[in-house]
Amino acid sequence: MRSKFPNRWLPLVILLPTLAVCALFLYYPVAQSFSWSLYRAAFMGLKRLYVGTQNYVRLFTSPDYVHTIGVSFLFAGGVVFLGLSVSLAIALLANQKVRGARIYRVSLIWPYALSPAVAGTIWLFLLNPTSGVVNYFFETLFGVKPDWLTSGRLALLSVTVAAVWKNLGYNIVFFLAGLQNVPGEILEAARVDGAGAWRTFWKITFPLLSPTTFFLFIMNIIYAFFGVFGLIDVMTKGGPVNATNILIYNLYRDAFQHNKWGMAAAQSVILFVFVVILTLIQFRTTGRRVHYGG
Amino acid sequence: MAARMSPYKLRKRAFVVFTHASLIVLSFVIAFPILFALIKSTQTPAQVFSYPPKFSIGPGAAENYSVAWREYNLGRLMLNTTVVAFAVTIGKTLLSLLAALALVYFDFPFKGLIFVFILVTLMMPIPVRIVPLFDLVRKLGWGNSFWALTIPFLASATGTFLFRQHFMSIPASLVDAARVDGVGPMRFLWQILVPMSMNTVGALAVIEFVYIWNQYLWPLIIISSNKNQMIQIGLKMLTGAGPQGMVNWGVAMAGTVITMLPPLIIFILLQEQFMRGFALAEEK
Amino acid sequence: MKRGCLLVTVLVLFSFGWVLAREKTQITFWHAMGGWRVEFIERMVADFNLTHPDIEVTVEYKGSYRDTLNAALAAARAGDAPHIVHSFEVGTQMNLDSGIFVPLEDLIDQYGLIVPWEDYIDPALNYYRVSGRLYCMPWNSSNPILYYNKTLLNAAGVEMPKKPTFEDIISISRAVKEKGLAEYGITWCLHSWYLEQWMADMGVDLVNNDNGRSGYATEINLLDPAAIKIMEWWKQLYDEGLWVNPGRENWSQARQVFISGQSAMLISSTSDVTLMENAAVEQGFELGTAFIPVPSDYERHGVVIGGGALWVTGGHPDSELRAAAEFVVWMTQVAQTIRWHQGTGYFPIRKTARTALEMEGWFDRYPNYRTALDQLQETQPITATQGALMGNFLEARTFIEDAIEAILAGTPVPEALAGAKAKIDQGLQDYLELVGG
Repeated sequence: MRSKFPNRWLPLVILLPTLAVCALFLYYPVAQSFSWSLYRAAFMGLKRLYVGTQNYVRLFTSPDYVHTIGVSFLFAGGVVFLGLSVSLAIALLANQKVRGARIYRVSLIWPYALSPAVAGTIWLFLLNPTSGVVNYFFETLFGVKPDWLTSGRLALLSVTVAAVWKNLGYNIVFFLAGLQNVPGEILEAARVDGAGAWRTFWKITFPLLSPTTFFLFIMNIIYAFFGVFGLIDVMTKGGPVNATNILIYNLYRDAFQHNKWGMAAAQSVILFVFVVILTLIQFRTTGRRVHYGG
Repeated sequence: MAARMSPYKLRKRAFVVFTHASLIVLSFVIAFPILFALIKSTQTPAQVFSYPPKFSIGPGAAENYSVAWREYNLGRLMLNTTVVAFAVTIGKTLLSLLAALALVYFDFPFKGLIFVFILVTLMMPIPVRIVPLFDLVRKLGWGNSFWALTIPFLASATGTFLFRQHFMSIPASLVDAARVDGVGPMRFLWQILVPMSMNTVGALAVIEFVYIWNQYLWPLIIISSNKNQMIQIGLKMLTGAGPQGMVNWGVAMAGTVITMLPPLIIFILLQEQFMRGFALAEEK
Repeated sequence: MKRGCLLVTVLVLFSFGWVLAREKTQITFWHAMGGWRVEFIERMVADFNLTHPDIEVTVEYKGSYRDTLNAALAAARAGDAPHIVHSFEVGTQMNLDSGIFVPLEDLIDQYGLIVPWEDYIDPALNYYRVSGRLYCMPWNSSNPILYYNKTLLNAAGVEMPKKPTFEDIISISRAVKEKGLAEYGITWCLHSWYLEQWMADMGVDLVNNDNGRSGYATEINLLDPAAIKIMEWWKQLYDEGLWVNPGRENWSQARQVFISGQSAMLISSTSDVTLMENAAVEQGFELGTAFIPVPSDYERHGVVIGGGALWVTGGHPDSELRAAAEFVVWMTQVAQTIRWHQGTGYFPIRKTARTALEMEGWFDRYPNYRTALDQLQETQPITATQGALMGNFLEARTFIEDAIEAILAGTPVPEALAGAKAKIDQGLQDYLELVGG
């Protein structure tokens, strides 16, 4: 038994601010999302009408929303797959004991501090059809000038690449931390036994890294669902033809551009259910906690 | 030289060279977009729009940065964002230190439940409550204000969790010693716990500062006046010239550089704590 | 802990020191004009404040029209609405139903302000007159006009008629492209506005119930042959590589394409005339302007006035409402109108202002402004050109632009338009149930 301070009221007093903020600005609005989702509303809620489950029915029967769900998963899949594989490869290299490893490390992870909007702005310019540098390279090398942001599939690819780039630093930090926990003796033993680098990686390093990989898997999904709003808003605004209209962008559009608050609340509820499912999976599998940025 | 080396050493030497080369190339590739932005932020409009693109530093830096800073008001937005980011970072750290202190060093009813109550908020990112939160903050009369950007963000499940974990790893004998010496809980927190938690404080500070600095959706909707706006939205104004004028990419890139500097500096300064703090969080 | 709190408090006080109340009548004005116009408007407001010592107008740029309107609605909900809100034409129905605005004409009558209505040009007032009441003051009025690079067209050996047809645009574009003079014939940004304007010009209402003016609209006319014709033409231009897509609502990219000589023609707002004249001088080409094209087998009916108007919100003390009305009227006095037109390129909405400009030789110096004014003056007063009223106009535009993008990507025109129509009609129905039902 850990020894405690005896006060009975002090702990509650010092917990109060945290609890109050949680209750008022987190629990209460989430609960309200549920109730708003049963209404049709306009003018910032100045007018509203009870419609039962109509918003949900409409969402799930709307080809547009189903498409948006598909795009979100495609985008998340791209961010996870590209992001994790590239950053794992980089982390493996950066984990080598070479001179200047610390400097390399910093020079590889600093994009963590960039915002999605900054990443979006820079990539918007890189991909600019008239004065962007990407099309200059493409024209020089392949003789083509693709419409990066105005053709559907390419636009999704473009925002995926930008989103992956922005998140590389974050992934590398965790992979590096994970790699430090891989005991050097085991690797050395494997080498002595004559296992090749490739085999050593797949048989030893990768399994030992799996908790980190799984953690990053979840974090990258969360990032792809919630963290890239600024990037999408700056680069494509969800277009063309909704090709990059991920769930959160659609939610924003319905809530604050079309003023359809009931419909937007229903989408919030759907996202909430999604987060709860992800968290349960996470909890069941590793018991680790996840920070959604809040 | 090489002739005297064993094949193993040779291979190892080659591997080291390869590692250096690829790390340098990778660092460059990762940095390229930023380097490009930096270069373009110094060019005049004619140079920015020239095709093929020019990769040399131009004479337009002073002009671009001052336009971004003054005409697009980034100076003001920068000040706003700094204040908000510091206020939230400090506030969050304080509140989560206090919460963790209560959870670890006191006994009171429903303690486990309260901890879960705080932890569950991890599942409530802004998008799942955005409409009612917007409505609530407006009703409180905080729309378009500093309060809207700070108060709702002061509770931190992550912080509470991190500090709780860390406190639990500190030997219990310390509390006994403190009690014998007549040290009260608050002094205990400030004089003993906090100095022992600097890595966690640093890691949390980086996460929260970067998170708040880079926030986009919430200020976009809740802040309506330009003078109270956050910097990320200012960036949006630089590229979204709207029905008037053209996007001046030199200025936009200057704005981008300005916008990304503060969190980058904080990150680089605190990156050691950040990595170590996370290593702690990783254990569990 | 105390020190931390103190620090936070001090920081807060330093940066967000709220303005202390003064004795003058304080009114706020939110507008949606970005770029260099921010400063121009600030100067106008400063002049108003100077000449009206008992009123202090605080002006603020709030981003896009959508942002401005949403911010105003939200502020009104919280009880701190700005007095004057700059809103765009497509927000008219929403503004009416939101209940936060008061009809301008009521205020003007109530406070006995004198406004020579007969001196205002009709198309501007018509748009904002609903059931005979003028709800707001047209302010920045514009419509689309065709700009062309005369130098390029001469080199291609083609000439632009003053009133071109859809077919003219195709043949001129082809000529320019075939001779390799420019990469594309023409450009305009992907915006629902153009489809709306072309439909009006062809004499077709955008929505039913007399364009939403004799009752709430319940259906959009996107399957009208006119709409299909426009989209088929647009698609043909795109497929032949004659029109380039500068991006959705990306006005600035469209201008850039034209100015840099990548396209020979541009359709954009009349308010770009000054900008284009300057750019043409810089880039060394001769600028020409023409009416927007219509299909050769359709009669020309003219354009819908676009742009924005100034709305006054209710629920303020009399002194503030009066000051707001005074400010709005002042902004469209002849002197201000002339200054506004010369400074920004938006139409002078006062007849006297036009005469004064004419006498001053302004249109001889800038003949391209005359094209714009002629196009407006030749507009017939029918419901199609009066402009559509729809409560869900913003959403409708999103759906129309989705459809346009889908068409360019290969979806058959009637299918894409039918899809948009179904969604928009649903929105109209929902809107009606909510506000009218």
